[in-house]
Amino acid sequence: METKSLKAMVKDIFGSEAGKKEFAANPESVMSRYNLTGHEKTAVLNTASRVGLTTSTSSALAFDIEAAILWV
Amino acid sequence: MDSGLQNELLRKEIIGFISLLPESFRDYVSEPLKVDRRGLSNSEESVAPWVLLPLIACESVGGNGKQAIPLCAALQFFIAAGDVFDDVEDDDSPLALSVKYGTAITNNIATTLLVLGEKAIASLKIKGVSDSKTIKIADTVNSYYLTACFGQHKDLSCSGKIDITEEEYLEILSQKSASQIECACHAGVLLATENTDLLDPLKEFGYNLGMMAQITNDISGIIYQKDILNREITFPVIFALSQAESPIRDELKKYYQNQTDNKLTAEQVSKILFDTGAMHYSLIIKESYRTLAANAVEKAEKYGADPKRLREFLK
Repeated sequence: METKSLKAMVKDIFGSEAGKKEFAANPESVMSRYNLTGHEKTAVLNTASRVGLTTSTSSALAFDIEAAILWV
Repeated sequence: MDSGLQNELLRKEIIGFISLLPESFRDYVSEPLKVDRRGLSNSEESVAPWVLLPLIACESVGGNGKQAIPLCAALQFFIAAGDVFDDVEDDDSPLALSVKYGTAITNNIATTLLVLGEKAIASLKIKGVSDSKTIKIADTVNSYYLTACFGQHKDLSCSGKIDITEEEYLEILSQKSASQIECACHAGVLLATENTDLLDPLKEFGYNLGMMAQITNDISGIIYQKDILNREITFPVIFALSQAESPIRDELKKYYQNQTDNKLTAEQVSKILFDTGAMHYSLIIKESYRTLAANAVEKAEKYGADPKRLREFLK
């Protein structure tokens, strides 16, 4: 899994309030500036739709992770 | 047969093996199996039935679920043994058995659990599984657990290594954790069929499910701060250490190296991991493994697998 561009994108989004606002308003446009694979784009969009932009311990986040806590 | 009944059968199976031991020893060996998400837990399972994964994999390809009960029991014994050894090796849990009983007794409990796991696999033949299939399953399970042992060795050897890369870390997770979930799926399917059109995608499902779940554990360790307090370098921390700018990165390093001039509290470390996007990045990677697992189930479905209960793990 090549994640360098993905890391750069997340770093840029979280680097400023403007970055977060822009991603929230138009994630496709932000993603188009990075060399993401189709699989990575899907993961980015699915994550945004499940929990939004994770900036705190929101109840959506706690709910999302609780179901999959493991076993190993 | 519903999950409740299957859980009950599994409990009986586990208790049956433990009853092979002298009465005065049984409570010691049962204890690691009574914690949450283990075969003798009393907690109401509102989440995916992890303890039944081998059985669910077996039934998804048309196998007989009852035959898979000893396999589920075997994996519960192996996983519980791993929990116990892990607590001794990490030496960071006040609730560990070793704190209660000392290292010698604790190691013996874990060794007993391993032997019970082997006995549980050998008992497959009582359920009508052929000798050759039983040997094949034993060999498969042991191979996965050798991988897990090597992953644990690498994890212990890298303990506290501040410059571990994401790739190195994911490789350790894949060996020490994902291998165990892949094992549950592989061995469960093997009971029913050796058709690689079904076996391969369901192994892939197990692997990606395991990676997803382990990244989830890492996220949880930050939310509830357990891993922060233990200064464990987990997936979100690796992102922050490599991507955060100075001076935040330097402060984070001091915290994780437990340097005397560290100024951060656990609360502040948590805030850094959220603010730098480390937690969000971890969620994206978790989601990416979820998608890969979902794709693998879809592939198996094309060859006739029933995916309904497998998909419960991906909700």
